[in-house]
Amino acid sequence: MRINYNFAFFDESSKREIRRAILKAIAIPGYQVPFASREMPIARGWGTGGLQLTLSLVGKEDILKVMDQGSDESVNAVNIKKLITKTTGIKVTHDTGEASIIQSRHRIPEIPLQEGQILVLQVPLPEPLRYYEPSEYETKKLHAEQEYSGAWLMLFEQIMNYGNMATGADHPVMVHGRYVMAPSPIPRFDNPKLNRSKALILFGAGREKKVYALPPYTQVVSLAFDDYPFEVESFHNKCCRLCGATGVYLDEFIDEGTGATGATTYQCNDMGFCLHNLNQKSR
Amino acid sequence: MKLDLVHDIQAAFRKIVDAMSRPGQINSIKEQADKLDLESGCFNSTLVLALMLLDTEQTFHVVAARPSATTGLITRLTYAKAAGTERADYIFVLNDAKPEDIEKAFRAAYPGNLMNPHKSALIIIEADAVSNDRNLILTGPGIEKESYVKVKTTDHWVELRADKNSEYPLGVDLIFTDTDANILCIPRTTQVRKQGVNQWAMLQ
Repeated sequence: MRINYNFAFFDESSKREIRRAILKAIAIPGYQVPFASREMPIARGWGTGGLQLTLSLVGKEDILKVMDQGSDESVNAVNIKKLITKTTGIKVTHDTGEASIIQSRHRIPEIPLQEGQILVLQVPLPEPLRYYEPSEYETKKLHAEQEYSGAWLMLFEQIMNYGNMATGADHPVMVHGRYVMAPSPIPRFDNPKLNRSKALILFGAGREKKVYALPPYTQVVSLAFDDYPFEVESFHNKCCRLCGATGVYLDEFIDEGTGATGATTYQCNDMGFCLHNLNQKSR
Repeated sequence: MKLDLVHDIQAAFRKIVDAMSRPGQINSIKEQADKLDLESGCFNSTLVLALMLLDTEQTFHVVAARPSATTGLITRLTYAKAAGTERADYIFVLNDAKPEDIEKAFRAAYPGNLMNPHKSALIIIEADAVSNDRNLILTGPGIEKESYVKVKTTDHWVELRADKNSEYPLGVDLIFTDTDANILCIPRTTQVRKQGVNQWAMLQ
């Protein structure tokens, strides 16, 4: 059976529901707007929130980039791209600079985003307070009252247990001085890119049925203490083994072919960025 | 109706998203609005917004000298329910609305509650003209430093809005449109100041 889907897969009423949520989310930065999340042809937890945002935004003129933990070629990224291109016919790219919509899982591209671009982040757990408060009703109340001692306590306990703030990813941020927000599981390295970003950043959580947003030039501060300041992952004295880039987020590889100990090498996590560098060099 | 309900509405929506995320940025949806040829009693751009945002799940209210024709048309086109100002998700203030009616609408509009600030009303106002002339200074999220706008209307919406939005995150968001189908969005986070009345700074 061959079905002719509507442009961008969704029926227009689903798009309207998501579009209304997007506008509210932009008007209240960092606040999680509930929306009627749709069933998608990919499993929940595999980017359905981001996909729904992208599908309700996308038009015929858009150029799309989808990346998954830095890779444009992972199964998840490829399948999301396939669904979108099959139902819209739009062009896809690896090049961050060329894309008008960038859907990403767990990374913000290394190439700085520009005005007019939209970054859509896939979010598994939108609620930064969920770790210590299981009730949705209670967390909504805590946000309403701006009662965030639990978020601070979580970081404090990490310092007590491990000697530092041990959030590997998803380090909570304060948005526009009002809402504590989960930035999705991006590494801490990417948190500073949220602050006063030139591009609009949208967050979609399909399973949890929430949409939230950061308009451009919004103040985003990573939670930290005076004596334990926020720190990003350090890649001091390390560079990409392929393109030689420094000061970017690197993946660590252990080369088992080099003997029992294994040599450690590093490579850009953002594949599009690494390719861009290599292409520049080969010209 | 030549308006393409899929592609034209999508294109207009992206202009609104851009305008809402960059308050002070004026975008035109004239290309889409010009495709409408209905006798609506409101601007074509207002009708594009209604078609973009409304359906059976939403309520709306029209503030105008003679609201019934426009209310009827929007209901027939979108199946949205007409409601009182207090309960309306979307309030359309048409160009011929009297200043006192606009004031009433602002005062009655639902600002949301602290647990659900997103349930607030969105007010769409038909102005005579919107431009980037230096009249009002806007600051806040979405704006790099400052942006400048001039909105030609008969009412004193700046004060009404400031009053309504005094307790962030509660408040109403505004979309202005004009006869040329320009769109200006002012979400509740935007601080609006009048040019040249910064007397506090002069005294300090």
